[in-house]
Amino acid sequence: MKIKVELKKRYYEAESSELKGKRNVFSLDVNFEMKNELVVLFGPSGSGKTTLLKCISGITHPDNGIISVDSRIYFDSDRKINLPIQKRNMGFVFQTYTLFPHMNVRKNIECGLKGWEKGEKETRVREMLDLLHIEELEIRYPSQLSGGQKQRVALARALAPKPELLLLDEPFSALDRVIRTELAEKIKKLQKKIGIPLLFITHSLDEAFLLADRILILYRGEVQQFGTPEEIFYHPRNLHVAELVGLSNIFDDALVEGQVEGHNAGPKRTVLRSGGMRIAVKPLNLKEGDKVSWGIHPENITLLPLDSGSEDHDENIYSAYVHSITSKGPKKRIILKLSRHEKSLTAELSAQFADALNLNTGDLCLVKMDMSKVVAF
Amino acid sequence: MLDKIWFPIFITFWIATISSLLVLCSGVVLAYVFARYDFRGKGLAELFVTLPLVLPPTVIGYLLVVLVGKNGFLGQMIFKVLGTGIMFTWQAAVIAAYTVSLPLMVRTAKAAIEAVDRELEHAAYILGRSELETALIITLPLAKKGILAGLVLSFARAVGEFGATLMLAGNIPGKTNTMSISIYSAFQAGNNELAQVLVLILVILSLLSISLTGKFIDREKFEV
Repeated sequence: MKIKVELKKRYYEAESSELKGKRNVFSLDVNFEMKNELVVLFGPSGSGKTTLLKCISGITHPDNGIISVDSRIYFDSDRKINLPIQKRNMGFVFQTYTLFPHMNVRKNIECGLKGWEKGEKETRVREMLDLLHIEELEIRYPSQLSGGQKQRVALARALAPKPELLLLDEPFSALDRVIRTELAEKIKKLQKKIGIPLLFITHSLDEAFLLADRILILYRGEVQQFGTPEEIFYHPRNLHVAELVGLSNIFDDALVEGQVEGHNAGPKRTVLRSGGMRIAVKPLNLKEGDKVSWGIHPENITLLPLDSGSEDHDENIYSAYVHSITSKGPKKRIILKLSRHEKSLTAELSAQFADALNLNTGDLCLVKMDMSKVVAF
Repeated sequence: MLDKIWFPIFITFWIATISSLLVLCSGVVLAYVFARYDFRGKGLAELFVTLPLVLPPTVIGYLLVVLVGKNGFLGQMIFKVLGTGIMFTWQAAVIAAYTVSLPLMVRTAKAAIEAVDRELEHAAYILGRSELETALIITLPLAKKGILAGLVLSFARAVGEFGATLMLAGNIPGKTNTMSISIYSAFQAGNNELAQVLVLILVILSLLSISLTGKFIDREKFEV
């Protein structure tokens, strides 16, 4: 199965506005292909995630482009094809569940089985109730269900007509953490079991990394990066992606100083100059003097006591003062003032490790940023 | 005497029932179209349907006479089909009642339909249901309370209709003398006894219909 999406959609200010002219306020310009996999659409509010799903489902239409699932064309502006929603064979789970309040669970699931023979219908509803472990809810009404139960019913209803593609628009945003994780794992298993492509919108980074085969990062209507969680996390293509995946230590002032060929002086690497520091990163395909940004995830920073050594430009070891320490349950967040850069650095350590270091505010210590963990873009 | 009481009751409820059925069918369709579609002239169309709510009944009566009277556009068509005019018949009273009660239904039902979450409709479309099916199994059932309220209001308005009915259907004993009209003419003729009996019956029946509807609506078990 191959899904191809290539579309443009623009939103204009209301024509009655004083400007009269059509001022472009937002445009969605997306181009990607996916297979039988679980793709997470990730991006800040207003980046066009929901609009994209609505275009694919047919609730709204792109201005131009192509949307196809295998050889079936959902939308093609050049050939003037626009398949009605009812003919697009897909499932959609909305953020607000959208269960029909006047129908019980069974009727809700049956709603998508129009034209099925009575016996087949019965079997299919059973299968769905069974698949999502909601057998006991069969004759309840949506108002009698909890949030997690509603979401399961919504999933059962969407899957019942055997869709060729499943779209989920932040399905877990109203649920508590425990149920979220449980349902996310359930969905991942389900996707493997039924083997259909699944497009999933989320705001939660944890959810994205837990679920995704690949993550599509959307920012202001444009695809910033499309890759595996690993790629996105360690090789963000630009500042937007880096910020979105929680890279809080970002230094955008670096210049490429040179390339170091491996051998005795350690592995092959690119050296950047950032403030008074020289930072070694994995080899970059850039020339000397090129501008570059670098950063490191707070949990990838290692702290060393001062007596364990000294600053080492080749190993990315620099001295820093402890500015503040805050406790985050099992973790401690330590803000460090670098001696060789005016920006501060945030590190996150396990409480156990932090306690062993016995650091206090104002102490001087050494910060090690492992070359393989430093992200440059 | 009994005929003077029973006939007005019968003809009033007959007219109000027929008018309300027509209002129900056409009003819900109009309300759905106004709530869910945007088209050129929509504002004008809505204004036109709502107008009888604010026009004096005599003005409505006059305009209807112009429309369905012997020389009116509709009147001539009716004459061609039926071979007879409908002025001063119970059918004319139905037209008057329908015209004045339609806006009550359209306005109430439109508000109820607009209150139904569009995402529920989208969900039904995605499940393969056509727009008509979705309206019938999702939207209208969920707007039922509003539609029923509109129906009660329309029925009550039809029962109480006086001005336009008098101009269009007249006051013909045994033919078009509805309760409202009978009360007026009994009062004019100094027959206070008859007027009082009819007033009492009208008040009791109105109370009864309102409380019945209330009970019916309360029985709904789901929350919207």
